[in-house]
Amino acid sequence: MKRTKWVFPLALVKCCIVAALMLTTSFVVQAQNTQTITGTVTDSSGAPLQGASVVVEGTSIGTTTDANGNYTINVSEQQKSKRLVFSFTNYVTQQALIDDNSTINVSLKNNYNTLNDVVVVGYGTQRKLSLTGAVDQVTSKDIENKPVTNVLQALQGEAPNLIIQQPSLDPGSGVNLNVRGIGTTGDNTPLVVIDGIIGGNINTINPNDIASVSVLKDAGSAAIYGSRAANGVILVTTKSGKLNQKATITYDGSYGTQVPRVLVHKVSAWENAYYKNQALINSDLPPAYTPEQIEQLKDEGDGTWDVEHLLKNAPMQQHTLSISGGSEKNSYYISGGYQNQGSNLIGNGGFGKDFGYQVYNLRLNQSSIIGRLKTNVILSYTKTRNKTNTVGDNNIFADANRVPHNYNWTDSAGNFLTNDVASQYNEYGVLKQGGYGQSDNDEIFGNFNGQLSITNDLKLTGVFGGTLNAYNDFFRRQQVNYLPAGVYGDDRTVFDNNSKSQLFNTQLYAEYTKTISDNYFKILLGASNENYEQRGSQIQKTFTDPYLGTPTTGTIVDPANSYNSIAVDQSSLSSLFGRVNYSFQNKYLLEGNFRVDESSKFAKGNRTGFFPSVSAGWVISDEKFMDAVKNSIGNLKLRASYGTLGNQNVGSYQYQATYFNYPGAYGFNNTVVGGAGYVLGNPDLTWERAATLNLGIDAGLLHNSLTISFDYFNKKTTDILQSRQDVPLIFGLSTFPDFNVAAVRNQGWEALVTYTLTTGKVTQSFSANIADNKNKLLQLTGGVSKQIVNQDVFSLIREVGQPITQYYGYETNGYFQNEQDVEKSPKPAGVTVGPGDIKFKDLNNDGVIDDSDKTILGNPFPRYTFGFTYRLSWKGFDAQIFIQGVGKRDEFLRGELVEPFHYNYGATVYTHQTDFWTPDNPDARYPRLAVIGSQSNNNNWRLGSDNYKYDAAYMRLKNVNIGYTLPASLTKRWGVQKLRVAFIGQNLFTLSKLKFIDPETTEFDNRVNIYDYSNSARSYPLPVFYGGSLEITF
Amino acid sequence: MKSNSLYIILFILTATAGCKKIDLAPTDRFSESNFWTIDDNVYNALNNNYGIAYNSNLYFYNEALSDNAYSPSGDVNAISAGIYTPSLAKFQQDWGYYYSTILSCNLFLANVDQNKTLDAATISRLKLETRFLRAFEHFNLVKWYGDVPLVDHVLTPEEAQTIQRTPKQQVLDFIVSELQAAADSLPSNNQIPQSENGRITKGAALALEARVLLYEGDKMQEVANICEQLMNNQQTNGTYSLNSSYADLFNNPAVNKNNPEDIWSLQYVPSVRTWSEFFDFAPRSVGGRVSSMAPTQELVDSYIMLNGKNIHDAGSGYDENNPYVNRDPRLTATVVYDQYKWVNADGSTKIIYIKPGSDPDASRLDEYSQTSESSSKTGYYWRKYWDPTALSGFASGLNLHMIRYAEILLDYAEAENSLGKMDATVWDKTIGALRKRAGFTDAGALDYPGNTNMTEIIRNERRVELAMEGGLRMDDIKRWKIAEDVLNGYVHGARFGDPSVDNGYIRVQKRQFDASANYLWPIPSSEIALDKNLTQNPGY
Repeated sequence: MKRTKWVFPLALVKCCIVAALMLTTSFVVQAQNTQTITGTVTDSSGAPLQGASVVVEGTSIGTTTDANGNYTINVSEQQKSKRLVFSFTNYVTQQALIDDNSTINVSLKNNYNTLNDVVVVGYGTQRKLSLTGAVDQVTSKDIENKPVTNVLQALQGEAPNLIIQQPSLDPGSGVNLNVRGIGTTGDNTPLVVIDGIIGGNINTINPNDIASVSVLKDAGSAAIYGSRAANGVILVTTKSGKLNQKATITYDGSYGTQVPRVLVHKVSAWENAYYKNQALINSDLPPAYTPEQIEQLKDEGDGTWDVEHLLKNAPMQQHTLSISGGSEKNSYYISGGYQNQGSNLIGNGGFGKDFGYQVYNLRLNQSSIIGRLKTNVILSYTKTRNKTNTVGDNNIFADANRVPHNYNWTDSAGNFLTNDVASQYNEYGVLKQGGYGQSDNDEIFGNFNGQLSITNDLKLTGVFGGTLNAYNDFFRRQQVNYLPAGVYGDDRTVFDNNSKSQLFNTQLYAEYTKTISDNYFKILLGASNENYEQRGSQIQKTFTDPYLGTPTTGTIVDPANSYNSIAVDQSSLSSLFGRVNYSFQNKYLLEGNFRVDESSKFAKGNRTGFFPSVSAGWVISDEKFMDAVKNSIGNLKLRASYGTLGNQNVGSYQYQATYFNYPGAYGFNNTVVGGAGYVLGNPDLTWERAATLNLGIDAGLLHNSLTISFDYFNKKTTDILQSRQDVPLIFGLSTFPDFNVAAVRNQGWEALVTYTLTTGKVTQSFSANIADNKNKLLQLTGGVSKQIVNQDVFSLIREVGQPITQYYGYETNGYFQNEQDVEKSPKPAGVTVGPGDIKFKDLNNDGVIDDSDKTILGNPFPRYTFGFTYRLSWKGFDAQIFIQGVGKRDEFLRGELVEPFHYNYGATVYTHQTDFWTPDNPDARYPRLAVIGSQSNNNNWRLGSDNYKYDAAYMRLKNVNIGYTLPASLTKRWGVQKLRVAFIGQNLFTLSKLKFIDPETTEFDNRVNIYDYSNSARSYPLPVFYGGSLEITF
Repeated sequence: MKSNSLYIILFILTATAGCKKIDLAPTDRFSESNFWTIDDNVYNALNNNYGIAYNSNLYFYNEALSDNAYSPSGDVNAISAGIYTPSLAKFQQDWGYYYSTILSCNLFLANVDQNKTLDAATISRLKLETRFLRAFEHFNLVKWYGDVPLVDHVLTPEEAQTIQRTPKQQVLDFIVSELQAAADSLPSNNQIPQSENGRITKGAALALEARVLLYEGDKMQEVANICEQLMNNQQTNGTYSLNSSYADLFNNPAVNKNNPEDIWSLQYVPSVRTWSEFFDFAPRSVGGRVSSMAPTQELVDSYIMLNGKNIHDAGSGYDENNPYVNRDPRLTATVVYDQYKWVNADGSTKIIYIKPGSDPDASRLDEYSQTSESSSKTGYYWRKYWDPTALSGFASGLNLHMIRYAEILLDYAEAENSLGKMDATVWDKTIGALRKRAGFTDAGALDYPGNTNMTEIIRNERRVELAMEGGLRMDDIKRWKIAEDVLNGYVHGARFGDPSVDNGYIRVQKRQFDASANYLWPIPSSEIALDKNLTQNPGY
């Protein structure tokens, strides 16, 4: 019933809009007698301003200045009484009466006040001044000139509470993105909207094509996106041409080297042998090495079996060529980009190019004015290609680390060696010859946008756009033989995985604007549909031809890993949305938003969600009583918003129970048979809801050269879609399907301070942002208050009243210092310990260490994320320093890099592990050495405790950019308008207590999933980039 | 204007493109209403239950809970060391595994009658097979946890939150009656076509029933009766006999798949449905990866001499310095020891050097070493279940024996002995037959030794015959209540250790077993938290 209730009016609205459109488009107003005005726009120092906007007030007639600051504009007889409005970003807007003037020159004053900036919001733009919600905007100058292949990497640290974590540093790997932290135990992915189209791929956009990125954080600004907006909305606007602008060609490129920063170092082989003896002796076992053997190891020195010998310096480059310009009625922006990030891992797998990641971008943005109709077409094509090894970084670093330093990857003849210690594979051989994986992603994005001004006050907009995606993943494992024994990849697997998806988004909306004396109204009403479809196929063969990878005698098609594109993943979402803005004297601002969404992901009756919000702003500085301090406080605004947002990020068909057939379930008489599985459905599945309160204050001091913004938010998400946790395994399911069961509160704040200082010819700006978010699980499922999941030695816990996911286990209490201490302290039952072993806290004071002494040990989600940017310009020189970091985060690490002679696998000790307990080192970081299987080892390492805990707070000198722009007077002789060269350094310096792994790496995705595997610290090293860039504008 | 009409068309297209329907259904799956009506689906659902009845990881690694084997990794290491708490993951995982298979069986039983095209006899047979599997899961649960909730229908989540533990005896009675129902009506192995090899038969139901009753301990007459049915009434209950070769049952794919001894086995198919645990059992020089489970000296010592004497018996001829000669041939079929002649797939042989410093090859891959993390911690490797046709990574299609006819003979011997009926006739049919098949020729091993020490002889025979076959040794230790003797103190490896400690036998692991608690595992603490009516076992 509810389905028809919303779809019918929705279709009706669209039909009405179309009909209205057809009627009105034929009445196009013809031009009349005109007067031509020319002039120059300069800054206060007299330098020409390019791209300044010149508009006849109250009309859409306008132009922009060219590279010399010149403009030409035609106005009609009737418009002589009007004024020309000159505006430019970061300058105070000026007006001049037209009258009979044929020349109007203006000089614009610097304005550090960003309040007049135009900020992109949902389905439109607003001046920052009139914003009532929490919106941050990052502009191209913050994104450009960073040697990254992913826009999100460039955005890290740029906006408060836009939390970006890079779990892996391998080229082409994705990032974790959170707006204002964790608000739900389910999917925390923000909604991405690119040029007004919902659901584009932000990872593959050329960073140089981006004009601005808006982050909508509160309900007030995001409610217009209703569904899926609960986790915030990221609006990307790409560059476009401007009317009346001479064509300019810009080349922007950088080239440099990435140097891998290896933080893990094995001790020398002889030291390793010495430590092994010590571990054995501590475990009451005879030593394994004689002093002569240790001496011999010392004489032999270290071999090549380490991480360093698997790494190399790798080049990274990016080039963008763009052309933009515009005539009176048309404007365009065309760009082509190429980015190539080489992998720091050696080799090419035996074929073709070295490992690495490439992106090719092509973009076209074209706008036309046809009478009352404004059209805009954006088309982009992106190709990404990522070539990787076949064994996985995790294995590469594990195998390189687990073998003592006296071994070599190869012998003098180049054979790949294995050894008797602990190596499954010779990873050097795998990188050199073990084949490769290559993923190719082809993406076409299109956006067709038409805006019709029916009257001066009423505009109709229709948008159709979407993304077509074709993805291919090719994998070929090649056999590598080792000496004296061992082989890699003798299954000689080859597979092709193909997948195609389409995402379409259709929108129609009308906007009515009216000013009646001091009252300003804007009303927006629209309808939209998004729909998504994806299908894919795979074929996998094993025992292929060893040289060609083609089928040959003995080749098998792997039925369990080969499938056709029968499965179609589809979803559809239809919506109605609206917004009302009202302001009085630009002083009292009111805004209301709503959206109604109907989603195919839910069963009939549960499909519709209504998401309203209200917000208000008060510009106190415009009040009479503030006149006295107006000079010192340029601007002061209070903002508040409250509303409800939705989230529907669950699988497409989860509301219905289904059965599926699968191959290879069992065999009878040596013949394989298929099986059938059951997926429990939940017909009651419906929208997750987040009610958000936002309070904000914006202030501009010292003539607005110092601006401060502060926001506080409090979000309560209920009906969270997540696996039910209250059903025992006796029911028969290890993972229950999603139900609307949990609730989370997420609160926090963010502050942004910008200060601009001009002294003589030196301009400096300081911009800092810092934010915090604190989430609390209010409900897990029904009356169940905790969920504990073991992740290797320690555990993760979800407990009501606590942050969503935390580390859990025993709390250490130093070390047993002597036998007396051992005697009188509580111990785990059955474990015999001695001095130097870890002492645990007996939290319930029952004299024994057991499950009931386990407690919460740490929070893995970043707190106090911050960014700091310093910019300096002096004559032609400019410099930018960008620092970014996390103020508080706990990280648990395990594996060979934490535990000396790691349980069952590792045979090594690392330099950072040598701070272990001895009678002379009673406050060591690590307990005494002991071998696997010993009681000490069981006590110290098998009982998960905060012994595994590290402080992952960090501060990183992320980016340094020092440039010089040649004087225009010089370059113009070569026909070049601008030429800038720069040095770029990235990741130059990191300050952290965590020394042997990059503190940013995390085992978690952006939902802090309790099922994410524990972190073995086997990560790709941080690449430190040194390079140069060149920017030329013709 | 021409371009205007273009945009009008665009607007109309835009409007219509928005009319995407909201009612979407998956294209590659069935709904609850149409799934069961299709015959093939019914069989697929049944096959699924077979596939999840048990798995190769449980099959092998439970052996390391007993004194037969040691595993350095995972929760079996913690359990065998006696250092664990009720939150140990394995307690929860195994519990969850058995109950998930029970749910799958109950779903089948609750829904299969929706099918109207299969004949009633077929549906009845499929149900009985499913009930067998459901009984087997319950048997696993009572074995490890004692009293457990008996789940004979699809529970609602609410029922699962409040269900109580059913007394163990009541669950056992249910299991026995379900197995009896299956035995009454299922076809025997000589009534089914060869294409159905691997399906549950009358014989399998009887054999499992015998095992359940034997474990109960006080039903020996019933055990003997069932064994006699299987031994003497083969026309009705199925034709079984000992395979001529012991080793071939585990190492010869043709025999493994087709032999007269197989009553029930987990079915695998080369290259398409395989298990790979042997990758971590084999010596490294023949392709093993690491040694994550290895035989103990205690197991090796339990293999008797060819003359029938225990190695410690006077006059056994056992030589501690040359310990592997003149031993029960099943030792060589099961365990790889120092200087073992490893027979490769092509029939060639290779010596496995395990003693430190003995390998002429510099790589010394298999040698026992304290400093190597991947060679065996006991100085022994496994041979049983090595598959000469396994693919890369030891992906093997060998079937894993769940119940062999040999077990019925051992059940019978044990039952008759405890009933005081052991004599030369029973001996010849059981222990004598097994030893003869194993390759013994000496009368000292084959002939009825009289009734002295018979319980020990039968128990030891059971240990060596069934070693490394699904952790049966641990079942026996528990039902014989000998854990406090055999699972306390050090478990050992070969004689490569410090000569002053335990006569040079490597101390591999110190084990602890608390007889007041450890005969049952704790109920997973996470389950107790979710079902307030669940109680914990004593001692936890």
